[in-house]
Amino acid sequence: MQESFLQKRLRDVAAVLVVSLFMFPLFWWALTSFKPTSAIFDKDGIVWFNFKPTLVNYAVTMLGKSRAELAIDSGNTFGVGGASSYDSRQTIIDSLIVAVGSTAFTLLLAVFAAYALSRMRFRWRQAYLNWILSQRFMPPIAIIVPVVFMFHYLSLGDTRLGLVIVDTLINLPIAVLLMKSFYDDVPVDVDEAAMIDGATRLQIFWCVVLPMVKGGAAATAVLCFIFSWTEFLLSLFLTNSIRTLPVKITTFVTSTGSEWGFIAALGTTAVIPSFIFILLVQKQLVRGLTLGSLKE
Amino acid sequence: MVSQHLRALAVDAPAPRRRRAWPQFLTSEHPFPWLAPITAVIVAFGVYPLLYALWLSFFKRNPVTRINVFYPTWNWGKLLTDDRVWGAIGHTYLYTIIALVIELGLGLAIALLLDSDRKGYGLLRALMTLPLVVPPAVTGMMFLLMLDGSFGVLSMGLVSLGLWSPAHPILASSGSALAGVLLADIWQWTPFMVLIMLAGLRALPKEPFEAAAIDGATATQAFIRLTLPMLSKIIAIAVLIRGVDLFRIYDYVKVMTDSGPGTATETLTSYAGTIYFKNADFPYASTISLFTLFLVIVTSSIFIKLFKVQF
Amino acid sequence: MSFKKFDQQTFIIDTANAYTNRQISKRDFLRKMGTAGIGFSAFGLGMLGNPRGLRQGSMLGTQAYAEGLPDDQAKWLKEVGSKFKGAKIRYSTEATPPSVVLNQIKKEFTDPTGIEVEVEIVPLEQVLAKATQDVQGQLGSYDLYYLDQSWISQFQPDCIDPVAYYKDKPELAMPNFDWDDFSKPLVDNIAKVDGKWMGIPFDIPIFTLMYRKDILEKHKIAVPTTYEEFLAAAKLITEAEKASGVFGTGLQAKSGHYSLECDWSQAVWGHGGSIFNKDKKFSGNDPQGIAGLKWYQELLKYAPPNSTASTWDGQFEMMHSGQVALVQSWDEFFPGLDADDSKVRGLWEPAKPLTAKVLRPASEAGFDEQPNLGHQGGSCISLSKYSKNREAAWIFMQWGCCKEIMTRCTLIGGFAPMRNSSFADPRVKAKAKVGAGTTRHLDTVKWIIDNAMATEPHMPLWAGFSTNEIPTELGKLLTGQEYNGDPKKCMDVLAAQIDAKVKDAGLL
Repeated sequence: MQESFLQKRLRDVAAVLVVSLFMFPLFWWALTSFKPTSAIFDKDGIVWFNFKPTLVNYAVTMLGKSRAELAIDSGNTFGVGGASSYDSRQTIIDSLIVAVGSTAFTLLLAVFAAYALSRMRFRWRQAYLNWILSQRFMPPIAIIVPVVFMFHYLSLGDTRLGLVIVDTLINLPIAVLLMKSFYDDVPVDVDEAAMIDGATRLQIFWCVVLPMVKGGAAATAVLCFIFSWTEFLLSLFLTNSIRTLPVKITTFVTSTGSEWGFIAALGTTAVIPSFIFILLVQKQLVRGLTLGSLKE
Repeated sequence: MVSQHLRALAVDAPAPRRRRAWPQFLTSEHPFPWLAPITAVIVAFGVYPLLYALWLSFFKRNPVTRINVFYPTWNWGKLLTDDRVWGAIGHTYLYTIIALVIELGLGLAIALLLDSDRKGYGLLRALMTLPLVVPPAVTGMMFLLMLDGSFGVLSMGLVSLGLWSPAHPILASSGSALAGVLLADIWQWTPFMVLIMLAGLRALPKEPFEAAAIDGATATQAFIRLTLPMLSKIIAIAVLIRGVDLFRIYDYVKVMTDSGPGTATETLTSYAGTIYFKNADFPYASTISLFTLFLVIVTSSIFIKLFKVQF
Repeated sequence: MSFKKFDQQTFIIDTANAYTNRQISKRDFLRKMGTAGIGFSAFGLGMLGNPRGLRQGSMLGTQAYAEGLPDDQAKWLKEVGSKFKGAKIRYSTEATPPSVVLNQIKKEFTDPTGIEVEVEIVPLEQVLAKATQDVQGQLGSYDLYYLDQSWISQFQPDCIDPVAYYKDKPELAMPNFDWDDFSKPLVDNIAKVDGKWMGIPFDIPIFTLMYRKDILEKHKIAVPTTYEEFLAAAKLITEAEKASGVFGTGLQAKSGHYSLECDWSQAVWGHGGSIFNKDKKFSGNDPQGIAGLKWYQELLKYAPPNSTASTWDGQFEMMHSGQVALVQSWDEFFPGLDADDSKVRGLWEPAKPLTAKVLRPASEAGFDEQPNLGHQGGSCISLSKYSKNREAAWIFMQWGCCKEIMTRCTLIGGFAPMRNSSFADPRVKAKAKVGAGTTRHLDTVKWIIDNAMATEPHMPLWAGFSTNEIPTELGKLLTGQEYNGDPKKCMDVLAAQIDAKVKDAGLL
């Protein structure tokens, strides 16, 4: 449908307005990360820009600096000393390790399983699919107690491996169903042609079909990564010394005030890795979000 | 090995019966080896804990001695008579339905808005996906700060516009607390719907629309008669996935209101959490969680049957 | 802001002043900055010729204030402690000042002994959750527990009696630990259950009255001493200061949070009531309890509306940003109010808590409850029965609670100490002036501990009641979700719930 000039302009304005509205919280959050506390909690009004911007929040969380060091540098004298428990570098590294680990493990399991589900017809195929999907229905609270005890006996408690396993478990349903839809897209004729040429099933899978669903695998990987990066409840209870990002942020609440500046700084930084991932695989992402029902 | 197969298959005759090296279910022809690893993982870490939770729900906990006594009907009976459970069920469904409707509506509208190939729209669409990657726990804290009754930018904004009275902080008033939590959810997940709708819109074939234009249909008519029906399958799947996640909502409630004020924002999972962490009554908490699972399964099954969702 | 700033601030300011006034040389100045953890490595310090090395501590403020452990204790630490070299102990705690400080100076423990200490600092609810999980499965993931006094009854079976352990294991006992030095009321109410020790008192946030002397002077109000006066003063200030957005008082009335239960129980005690009566039944619904609740409801009208969404940290923020004038709450807030970048520096004064017309005697209350004027929220540190590094943890526990270290913690953070000797230490008394890490409220606090400390009931279900049932129903009442503002209805419902659970647990 052709749009008139006016319609086009109106649409542009509306689009920019809407997106800005959604970006506002992120903007505010990033702004907060540069504010000193007095500007965050000003009872007389909203402080937009008239505050002295400070990099303290980032320095403490990202560079592990103690506030004392910065106090000397900047001439201000607010300080917290010694080993800063707000240093979040290790947290980011741990979150990355767990997210990447669980994504890899999930994909490994899912690409095999989904191929079978796509290509082979067996009696209980639909039931199996339903069973896998139903895993996603489970509220994580239901399994905390048994999983904690299990992990303890398996010595997996408070390990990155333990977290990887749990995140994998939660990602598997989506990963399998997704990959299946991508495999479904590849016509069976391809398989049959390869079979006539003498390949085994395994070879067909590995050398022929899998390369064709690379894009789909990428989209699945992104979804798994995002989920693992943002998971909170299980990470809280399965770990003591290893803190993933969401858990770490909640520890910034102290008995004499929450450290909002640090929360804001860490929160803003938390967005970056996932966003990069998304930009890289934007197209395939949508496919992932609809379980592949969308043929694009 | 390949040449063997070649010889066997190249001749258009039934393959001679070979003695198998492996029993059939272990060959790569059979689904078993493909599915075994994943089934093992799910059974070990998904099914077993679930069974344990079920078993636990049949015990009654003695807080003094900490010993659990076998008493199958205690927790389940308690569940049915616990007012807070029924309140939580109400809140959970209310939350789920409102969020779904708004996210779906807004998502579709915004998708229509951003569905254009002109310059800059690509960037707008990319920006629109940003809210999705913020950890929900962080989103909760973000909105907690913004909705703070005394210092929050959103609260102050609403007050200065005269739309809200400062005497009733949003997250502390039982009427509006749920709305506050919903706001966080809507902000975070409308982009999810937008992405899906966008993909759906882009996959629509052009011919019907061109035909309709020739026949003189207005944009609205085309939308209602053509676009919506063609998108229905996608909408159904999106609603299913999002609905299930909404039902299990935990992070926002925990961070923003902790089920309060009173129990105005208490959902099933947050109530289970309270019983688990504060009262240390693990059997009862398991019971509530299992009940939640049961409700999800029932509701989604009804939904799948009703709307013929296929995957 | 959080208390943590004062330690570093004070030290840096004092040192900088000294340097400016030519009292110390440039070399000394740099050395002191180095020990404050700024910029210089130990090697660099060595280069600057620090003869004593880092034996006496390498962290903030310590060189200026510390005299180090007495020789016999330092020797014990090194000899006995290093037997367990390489052990790793862990404990989970709330981010209260003593814990945070201990976390900062723990290097002084690790250096001589080789025992690593990991402190997990999380919000209070998570501490309870994780401790509960740990004892349920006897997992031993924590060697030491930080236990709020409202939970000690629940966890008593999981902790080792420290005094008995001290006697039983003389080879591990720290010389001159001096058990009698601990303030007796603190021991009885925070660290003992049924007369048996189960931990060492560790921190003592306790209710005290705090007021803005400038605002009270401005409106010519005398410092309130009774609950009625407090209400009247709050009302006056709120009405007079409507334009400037200042309120008479601020409350920590968040629905469903322990902080609300603390405020409520103090209100009940102050009106002659108690939580449980001597028949072990809930008595928040008797006339005194209702009077207390009514008073609290009335007070809420003169507090910022955000009170019903605030816990103690929100309440602190109200005080710190100048929004409120009169508060009866945790003494721990006080040092933070005097921080250098605080808008209200030097304007808050401590005072004795409000008096009650009549207090219910402890004999009339159930489960060892002690109604009184100053609600205490103390905690103890306990050794876990399931710990896999019991001896190493025990050594750390003794070190963390010894005279010198506890005094040092008070110096750094300005919070109330557990030991009588710390109160009397000249270094502590010297800091009783306006400024970061001030200790000028400690005399009041000591008086409260010795004379007016109020303690919640000790029974296994209390942790749940005080964090779930009670604040949830109160929240429903105060936010208008149910009960229509009728305190009796709310309390009756609560009584039914609590009595049923207590009966069911066989505790009646």
